[in-house]
Amino acid sequence: MSSRPRALAGVLPFARRELRSAFESPVAYVAIGLFVLVLPALFFFLGYPVGRTPLPGLWEGGQASLIVLFYWLPLLLALVVPALSMGAWAEERRAGTEELLLTYPVRTGAVVLGKFLATWTLTMLMVTLAVLSAALTVGFLGDLDWNTVVAGLVGAAWLCAGYASVALFLSAVSSEQLVAFLLGALALGLLWALPLLVRVLPGGAAGALEAASPTTHFLGSAARGVLDLSDLIYFVLLTALGLVANTLAVERRRWR
Amino acid sequence: MIVAEGLSKSFGPVHAVKGVSFTVARGELVGFLGPNGAGKSTTMKMLTGSLLPDGGRASIAGVPLDGRALGARAAVGYLPEHTPLYREMRVRPYLEFVGEVHGMGGRARRDALERVIASCDLEGYVGRRIHTLSKGYRQRVGLAQALCTDPDVLVLDEPTSGLDPAEIVRIRDLVVDLARSKTILLSTHVLPEVEEVCRRVLIIAGGELVADGPLHELAEDSADAIVVVVGSAETPAERIAGSLAACDGASAARGTFDGIRTRVHVTLERGADRHALAEALARAVHDAGWSLQELRHEVPTLERVFLERTRQLAATGGGSAK
Repeated sequence: MSSRPRALAGVLPFARRELRSAFESPVAYVAIGLFVLVLPALFFFLGYPVGRTPLPGLWEGGQASLIVLFYWLPLLLALVVPALSMGAWAEERRAGTEELLLTYPVRTGAVVLGKFLATWTLTMLMVTLAVLSAALTVGFLGDLDWNTVVAGLVGAAWLCAGYASVALFLSAVSSEQLVAFLLGALALGLLWALPLLVRVLPGGAAGALEAASPTTHFLGSAARGVLDLSDLIYFVLLTALGLVANTLAVERRRWR
Repeated sequence: MIVAEGLSKSFGPVHAVKGVSFTVARGELVGFLGPNGAGKSTTMKMLTGSLLPDGGRASIAGVPLDGRALGARAAVGYLPEHTPLYREMRVRPYLEFVGEVHGMGGRARRDALERVIASCDLEGYVGRRIHTLSKGYRQRVGLAQALCTDPDVLVLDEPTSGLDPAEIVRIRDLVVDLARSKTILLSTHVLPEVEEVCRRVLIIAGGELVADGPLHELAEDSADAIVVVVGSAETPAERIAGSLAACDGASAARGTFDGIRTRVHVTLERGADRHALAEALARAVHDAGWSLQELRHEVPTLERVFLERTRQLAATGGGSAK
């Protein structure tokens, strides 16, 4: 056996298999292509007309900044991540391969981590391509601060990790891919919308809701080019919670 | 070696498996039979670790199977019912994935793959996507993944289900070949297949083990029957059967007339002497003035043993393995 730690060796085959399956069907190419087209298009032409202070698009605003593009990420990813992860567990159950998977001599946590790594990698590939294509264009047109782009990408990686773990957990408790997608989009959509409820709730509750939303932890800092330790801790906790819940949901199937 | 001790499993109000115990010794090929819904697949899932029992214990190759028993799971190759596979994958990458999951690296994995690809006759198909293969070849890929790590124990859940006769023979030959070096628990609905390849059978019905033993012993314990062929076209078959059923030692008789002769199937009472009954039947035919053309003891087939054991359970509402 290789010198690679056994725990990691148990994770990687599942990550590779998921990625290979994603790229062996047209779904991943179509999703990446659409994302790389739609996100920059929203950034260049529409702006961000959501919330108290709508932001103009690049042509209208005329500022060499990707902040509008990063503002779209939490909402778009709330739809895209469930679409990419819906089959991760629901399809295993439908096809019966989950039964075989549970007989393999690996910890359930390793399988969960492998699927998470694959979804995270795929999502980050998509986000990086979209951000880089927009950044290169803006950098060509004006004086772009590349540090804010890098900080935004790092923050996006945290955001994608949190979203992927939640969406994968919901795929693990769903019997069908469509149900997994709807549950994932609903849950992530609600998390995204929490800051919008702040206006209709009293102070304490509003503050708690705002602090619970990944939107706040991304838009408040990384999207503006600032990396904050408290945001990292938030996303690590959200990701860990999703992964543990996912592991328990799969392990529970041995008792079903 | 497979050991099941008092395995039980319920799904809500349904008691799928009720205290099943048996042992499959090293190098043994044992047939596992039962009607649909009898608890076969649930038992097999508990023996491979994909399902944990509510009660009892199981062990594979001496290692107890529980949720954390990776060693026991590594020792068993499993082919589940309906052969679930990642159908979008190609055959070789799929088998490589299975090898990797089992911790096989580099050369060991390559050698293992070549071995199973050859033994399962998959040489010309390794580049094909699994969903493009015929059912028989998908079944071979399922077997190949079970054999990938050369496990000591194989649990095969209906490996020939839905295959054409030629494929059934090929898979059966492969199982027989594997049985020379491995412990195999083989579930199937094809009873002649079990008669051909297994010396011992387990029969499960209603979640309980109702028979466990060598095939010939179970057959001997089964209700005996004597077949009497009478050459009498004038007497109705029902009347002949009625007369023979009245003989000492007979519990029932069923007659059929084929246009020339009447064939009567006479079942022995439990504990009755079959030779004494044969004499009584011959005498009854002679006394009635019919011509006796044939009188023979019917050797119970596995099908009869199976039906009898599973019917007994339904009739008594309980069962116990021999």
